[in-house]
Order: sequence, then C-alpha cells, then structure tokens
Amino acid sequence: MLLLLTALVAVSLVSLLIGAGSVGPGRAIALLSGAQDSEAHFIVWELRAPRTLIGIVVGMALGVAGALLQAVARNPLAEPGLLGVSAGAAFAVALALVLGASAATLRISVAQLGALMGCVCVLSVARFRGVGNDPIRLVLAGAAFSGLLASLTSLILLYDQRAADEIRFWVIGSLAGRRLDDLLSVLPSMLVASIIVLLIARPLAALALGERVASGLGHHPNLIRWLVVACVALLVGAATAIAGPIAFVGLVVPFVARAFAGPDIRRTLWFCLPIGPLMVLSADIVSRVVVAPSELPLGVLTALCGAPVLIAVVRARRLPML
Amino acid sequence: MKPTPVRSSVLNAASARPNRIPIAPPQGYWRLAWRSRHGDQSVLLERRAVTVNVGLLGAFLLASVLYLSLGSVNVAPMAVLHALFGKADVMANFVVQELRLPRLAAAACTGAAFALAGILMQTLARNRLATPGIIGIDNGATAFAVASIVGIGVSIAPPAMALAGATTAAVLTFGLAAGSGTQGYRFIVAGIGVGAVFGAVTQLLLARVAIDTANAAYPWTVGSLNARPSGALQLLILGLVLGLITALMLARSLTLLRFKDATASGLGINVKRRRLEVLLLSVALTGLAVAVAGPVGMVGLIGPEIARSLSSSRGVPITAAALAGALVMVLADLAGRTLLAPIEIPVGIVTAVVGGPWLLWILMRPQRSFT
Repeated sequence: MLLLLTALVAVSLVSLLIGAGSVGPGRAIALLSGAQDSEAHFIVWELRAPRTLIGIVVGMALGVAGALLQAVARNPLAEPGLLGVSAGAAFAVALALVLGASAATLRISVAQLGALMGCVCVLSVARFRGVGNDPIRLVLAGAAFSGLLASLTSLILLYDQRAADEIRFWVIGSLAGRRLDDLLSVLPSMLVASIIVLLIARPLAALALGERVASGLGHHPNLIRWLVVACVALLVGAATAIAGPIAFVGLVVPFVARAFAGPDIRRTLWFCLPIGPLMVLSADIVSRVVVAPSELPLGVLTALCGAPVLIAVVRARRLPML
Repeated sequence: MKPTPVRSSVLNAASARPNRIPIAPPQGYWRLAWRSRHGDQSVLLERRAVTVNVGLLGAFLLASVLYLSLGSVNVAPMAVLHALFGKADVMANFVVQELRLPRLAAAACTGAAFALAGILMQTLARNRLATPGIIGIDNGATAFAVASIVGIGVSIAPPAMALAGATTAAVLTFGLAAGSGTQGYRFIVAGIGVGAVFGAVTQLLLARVAIDTANAAYPWTVGSLNARPSGALQLLILGLVLGLITALMLARSLTLLRFKDATASGLGINVKRRRLEVLLLSVALTGLAVAVAGPVGMVGLIGPEIARSLSSSRGVPITAAALAGALVMVLADLAGRTLLAPIEIPVGIVTAVVGGPWLLWILMRPQRSFT
C-alpha cells in the first residue's frame, strides 16, 4: 500500500513535469524550486495541475465503480465501460444537447441519469434468464448494448451539428482542456457516493458469501444491490461527465487490486483508490508524449492496455467466480 | 405426392429398362433428370431452398430498383429501367448510370461478401455469434487499411493491406483462444478484445496525421459507401465470384462440419484441411469487403440469420446468405441516404442500429444449438 502511494505521488509529479508543450521537465523543476518563469508557471499550475487532479479523481471513481460492479454482479468481467454504463452516460448527454440543453449547465446530472439507466438495463439483462450466471455472456450482452448506444450517439451527432461541435472532443474520452470548475461541480456527488460506499462495504463483503448467508447475517441483499447500482451510476456518471467515456479502467484496476488485496472486497476497494489514479495518470502522460505535439485520446491508451487484460482473464482456465 | 412431369419422365426412362427400380425423390425435393451420352443423370433440388433463393433474388432486384430511383433526385422506377439502357433523358441517365449504379454494385457486393464470410465463419466455429465483425477481423482489416492511407512508411493499396490486417486479426483471435475451443463464449470475448486493440490502433493512427488525411481515412472507421477507393471494387467482385464458387464446392463439407469433429471425419472429411480452407476464404472475403466499405460487420450477422431462419436446417444456406446480405446492405444504404437527407448516415451506423438489438435478442433468448 505504501509502495502504491509512493508510486502515485511520483506519477503525479511526473504528470506536472512532462507535457506536449515547450516547457520541459528542466524548466518545470526549476519553477517548483522557486525560479521566476511566467510561461512555465501558467502551464504547470493552470494546465497541468488541474489535469492531474482530475486524472486522480477520475481514476479513483472508475476503479472503485469497477470493483463495486464486479462484486455485485459476481463477475470478474463486469466493467462500466464494457457493460454500457459509460455509453449510457454519453448517449444521455448527446440526447440532452440535441433537446436544447447547453453543455455547461446540465451535463453532470444528465450523465449520471444516463449511467443509471445503462446500469439498470445491463443488470436486469443479467438477471434475465440466467445470462448473468455466465460471466462471458454478460460481457457480450454489454458489448452489444454499448455498441448500439454508441451508434445511436453518433447518429444524433450527425443529425445535429451544433451538438456535435460541442461534444466532439468529449465523446472520445480525454483529460485535455478540462477546467478545475468541472472538477468542483462533480465533487458533491462523489462525496455522496463515497459515504454510501463506506456504509455498504461490510454488507457487500457479506453478500460475497452468497445471498442467503447475507440475509442470515441481517443484511438486505436487494437493498445493497440497489445502493451499489446507485453508487456506480454516481461515480461513473461523474467521471464520464468530466473526462468522457473511458473504457477498461474499471476492469484492469480491480484486477490488479485483487492481486494485491486478496478476496476481501473491503481491502480491494481501498487498494483501488491508489491504483485507479496510477493507471489513468500514466495513460494520460503517455498520451501527451507519444504523438507530441498533438495528443492522443486517453480512451485509446486504456483500451490498448485493458484489452490484453480482458483476454488474459478470459483465457484463464477456470474463470474466477466472485 | 403429386407426380410431376419430371418424375414421369424418370418413370418412363426406368420402364424402358426394367432392371432399374425408379426411386421417388425424397419429400420436399425436386428431381431434375436428363439423359446424356453418359447415361441417365439426375439432380435433387430442395424445393424450399429454391423458393428461398428465388424469393430473395426477387426482393433484391426490387430493392435495387428502389435504390436506383430514390435519392436527392428521384427517378421514376420505369425511367430507371430505361436509364439502365441509356434511353432516358440525360439527367436520369447520368444519375442512374454514373452515380447510383456503381454505388449499388458496391453495396450489393460488400453485403454479399460480408454475409458469406459470416456464414462460413459461423459454420467453422460452430457458433452463431462468431462472425468476422464480432471477433475483431473487421477491425484488424480497418486498422491496416487506415495505416496504408495515412502512410506509415509503407504505401500499399488498401485492399492488400486490408487482407493482411484481416489475416493478422484472425491469427491473433484463433491463436489466443486456442486453449478454449471456438464454441464457447470465451472465443467471442477474446475476439472482442482483439477487436478493441485494433480499434485503438486505428484511433492512434488517425491521431498522428494531419486533419485532411484523417478525414480521408475516416469512412473506414465507421463503414461507409461514400469513399470507395478505386480498384477495390473490381478486386472485390473478382474475389466474390471466386469465393462463391469455392464455397459452393465446399458446401457438402460445410454441411458435415456442423457436426462434431469425430463425426465429420468419420463421414470422410479431412476436418483440419477443410477448416483451414473455410477460414482462409472467410478472412479473404472480409478483407476485400472492408477495403471497399469499411467495417460493416453487422451484415455478417444479419444476412446469415435471415437466410437460416428462412431455410431448412438440412444444409448451410450459402447462396441465400449472400443474397440476404446484399439485400440488407442495399436497404441499409438506401435508408442511410434518404432518411435524414440531406445528411447522409454512414451505412455502418444504420446496420449497427438495426443489428444491435438483434444481437441482444440472440443472446437473451433461451439457449439452443449455435449453428
């Protein structure tokens, strides 16, 4: 854990130091140690610092949401991006923009509503005729669902040029050019979600032993499930509202966290907190450097490192049941 | 059973030579019999297959006439028929012959190729979800075709690169899923993973280049008939004709490949070799079709589904699937051109919107066998 925290601090520092522009690590270090450099000051504190903070928050939200969703679906492949939760959020935002909302005011609550709808849809499919009993079938249903939503979103964007212009850069998933205000506006819902997560961590651990055991221990499985779904919707909706749909983070982070923490969901959740930002920030740094001076969408990089993990999980001889 | 003229001729032929016992055709079949220098010949035709193929062909021709007549300039259906032979007025001639006919050819050929590739892959994997679009072969072909357009060092023609990409993706998917067999859902999810990687690679390539080049390559990423590279269509037509002939020659083995390996080889098929041939054929068709229209993979799912639901389960409906694919593609592009006119919806989006619910429905209904 200490190691992970150290790594997180180091990555955040690197994120401040490295970028696509002309301010290299040398000048940034000089600035941090007290030199006067107005250009570097602007770039580091006005551009890179908010971006780093947003990366940390988004990473935490997506990682924790992934772990929660996997625990409640009892499925190591359940992931907000793969199951269509992010696609639901993106679709809701596009729809709201076409119906006349303006991007600045509405986005977060709408995205959270869309994420909630996506979540409920997929989980009800999962409970339908035992699709959820087969983890891989659930993923397939999710992939079909998010593919459908993604093409509906692009249909809407084709139809309405104004909306397309407003969210073209948002819909591919990126941390570039987000302001600190965006972050402040999602903080309340993030706080609410964190409190709920703290409250339901214990019942969730009991639920992992099976529905009957959980009821026997005095918990209400259905109530817990709905709370988890609400939490996931809040977290993923907020993260999507700031950074756009980013896939595979919610798959990789709990996967790694479980390797550190073992089967206990409470420990896994704590480990997700540093690992999520680690992944998002590293991917973000790479996305700035790799095609400098332009930038790569963050979602591309997370897909590049997430898809192999997906294949690895699928290839495992016995699929780990949660 | 009603005696048909054909059958009575068989009877006559048999009565001339009393040592031959006439065999009635099995129920639901027509027997075509004729005499040649080598003696009596006969062919069994399944009635239902004939009806389905003729019906699909008729629907396809009808859709083609609609396709040629509707658009930003409407040409009356009769005028379309005249314009095909150059006998209508100049405007109609130009619109039909120069603008819409090549596009119709592209739509029909890509649809047929995708559907044919789809049904071959499904039969090969004994899994109705294993279409090239779902297991990532489309995305592989797209990534390579985009690479050839944005020119990363190599500048080979898009069709060749698309073929290379399709092959790479197929090798990856089948290699990665090697341990788990092709029948389960694991194979499919491994394919989705491979597809996601290639999709990301496409984005990566597009992000590296100037905006104009990226715009030129954009159609490949969603699937559109709007920007067909020159020469790709001719290659596709050639490939489609050869592919159809090969598939029809393989039809008998395909029927048997649906059974277990042990059964199939017991019935006299070299299973491994046939598999490889079918796989190569499917991958080649996918690559050529992607080079023309980009990844419109849903057609590879919808076409075979339609053909299978219409046909009996006796054989693999190869021609019906190709016809259904062409029909779906033509209708989808027609809808894309006219629904939101003057905006044109790329055909890939139309098929995804229609095919997505279909895919969900396949997943959610009670499990049956997968072929």
